Amino acid sequence: MVGLVGGGGWRVGDDAAGGGGGGAVAAGAAAAAEAEHMRRLHSHAPGEHQCSSALVKHIKAPVHLVWSLVRSFDQPQRYKPFVSRCVVRGGDLEIGSVREVNVKTGLPATTSTERLELLDDDEHILSVKFVGGDHRLRNYSSIVTVHPESIDGRPGTLVIESFVVDVPDGNTKDETCYFVEAVIKCNLTSLAEVSERLAVQSPTSPLEQ
Amino acid sequence: MRETGATDEGHACEVVVAGGDGKAAAARRRRRLELRRLGLAAEDDAAAKRIRSVKDGSSSDDSSTEVVPRSWPACVSHGSVSVIGRRREMEDAVAIERTFMASTGDGAGAIRGGGEGEEDFFAVYDGHGGSRVAEACRKRMHVVLAEEVSLRRLRGQSASGGDVRWKEAMLASFARMDGEVVGSVAAAAPRVDGTEPSGFRTVGSTAVVAVVGRRRIVVANCGDSRAVLSRGGVALPLSTDHKPDRPDELERVEAAGGRVINWNGYRVLGVLATSRSIGDYYLKPFVSAEPEVRVVERTDKDEFLILASDGLWDVVSNEVACKIARNCLNGRAASMFPESVSGSSAADAAALLAELAVSRGSRDNISVVVVELRRLKSRAA
Repeated sequence: MVGLVGGGGWRVGDDAAGGGGGGAVAAGAAAAAEAEHMRRLHSHAPGEHQCSSALVKHIKAPVHLVWSLVRSFDQPQRYKPFVSRCVVRGGDLEIGSVREVNVKTGLPATTSTERLELLDDDEHILSVKFVGGDHRLRNYSSIVTVHPESIDGRPGTLVIESFVVDVPDGNTKDETCYFVEAVIKCNLTSLAEVSERLAVQSPTSPLEQ
Repeated sequence: MRETGATDEGHACEVVVAGGDGKAAAARRRRRLELRRLGLAAEDDAAAKRIRSVKDGSSSDDSSTEVVPRSWPACVSHGSVSVIGRRREMEDAVAIERTFMASTGDGAGAIRGGGEGEEDFFAVYDGHGGSRVAEACRKRMHVVLAEEVSLRRLRGQSASGGDVRWKEAMLASFARMDGEVVGSVAAAAPRVDGTEPSGFRTVGSTAVVAVVGRRRIVVANCGDSRAVLSRGGVALPLSTDHKPDRPDELERVEAAGGRVINWNGYRVLGVLATSRSIGDYYLKPFVSAEPEVRVVERTDKDEFLILASDGLWDVVSNEVACKIARNCLNGRAASMFPESVSGSSAADAAALLAELAVSRGSRDNISVVVVELRRLKSRAA
């Protein structure tokens, strides 16, 4: 079961189902680390007609593997299951690059135009803004950060994804957050699956991160 | 992309061939006009019929039907069309398997009388997030169903339990099919080198299946494709679409811990616009693969059956679809518009419905199966 709704340790600081595994002290330390990452890297200032939220995912794969997937602005389909096709305008990848994303059928959108705002390979930060498309997510801005952590004594990765977006006419803040979170949970679940499969295919030494 | 199914008479239909010259364009324009007239005429007729039936509501269609079990040839003819329409990808699939039980090899039909084992299988699958689940259903559903039905027949339950047996077999087949696609689609997705998309968990398909026997029709539905029976000129839906805002479906989704949000139409989690489907692993258990099954006894008044994806039903009502198919099957459409309607076979009727849907602006893939249950017109002429 995928567990897209409820439970499952998606919230920041909620480490019931997260990594650690070393009892209350370790869990407490992990939660404190998450809170620190949140404060430092994921501070959004939502307006009155906006909503904002953040989700976390613990992945049993080394951080360089997870980051290689997250940072590929030109190939989100490597892990995002709703993307069927992606083309970067102009070809070169740099801050300000714009990608045209085609979305698979059966979803409430078919296209999305998205701009690369920030790609920091040292701090492992990716920030993307939606600038067009036939979806209802106006002024959508997201930040994804990945952080090394130890899961059961092996190299693991903590992923935090946060967003801010306008609440569209006809919906409540709660509905908007719920919808965006459902999509992000699906993306992060898929990111974990793809990363963990890659990790098994190309095992790295426990020291390497 | 276009596939047309042939009827028994091998009467394939040739339509919608795009030409480049002005002559062809003029012909297409005329065709579109004639189609529109056909559709509008059918709408007027349907409206008149509704008024009439309200007026003399006392006279019932089921005027004390005879008790003697009757039987008919399972299907006189059939035809199908599946078109990509205005979409970029084709994700619909159609399956037609005559005497589909014969493939199980237990000879159930030969041993028993009364038409058991002579049933024909018809289905429309409308895929989303890719075509893999719809394709898997096209290849496997009738095989799985034949196994489930023969399993129950061999157990030898009493004949009176026939309806129950069919329902059980349908439920079991949809559950098995759902398990198969989750397993096989997941297994088929291990390559992550950038060429293989990671979307196996988000592929799904609706399924509407009709098994047409000599005495009864069994319809199983999961999703928003639909089966409609034309009985004595009246359109009788044999399935009810699984839309997330259907009160009982809404209740089911919420009881499972999910939510239905109006996000460009009502959707499960704001994402999927149907509340049941095969596949869609990521939306389980909110989106269910369990079909609703309906068994109807056949009557003398049954004319034909239409199965179609929402590419048709979004723009053509049950009544108009039946009217058009009827006018095609009885030859009237061909004699009225000989240049636009090529014949009066079930395949012609299916093609006509698909074209009408395109001309009315359907944006989706369109698949239509027409099953003729009794002749509306002598074919000798």
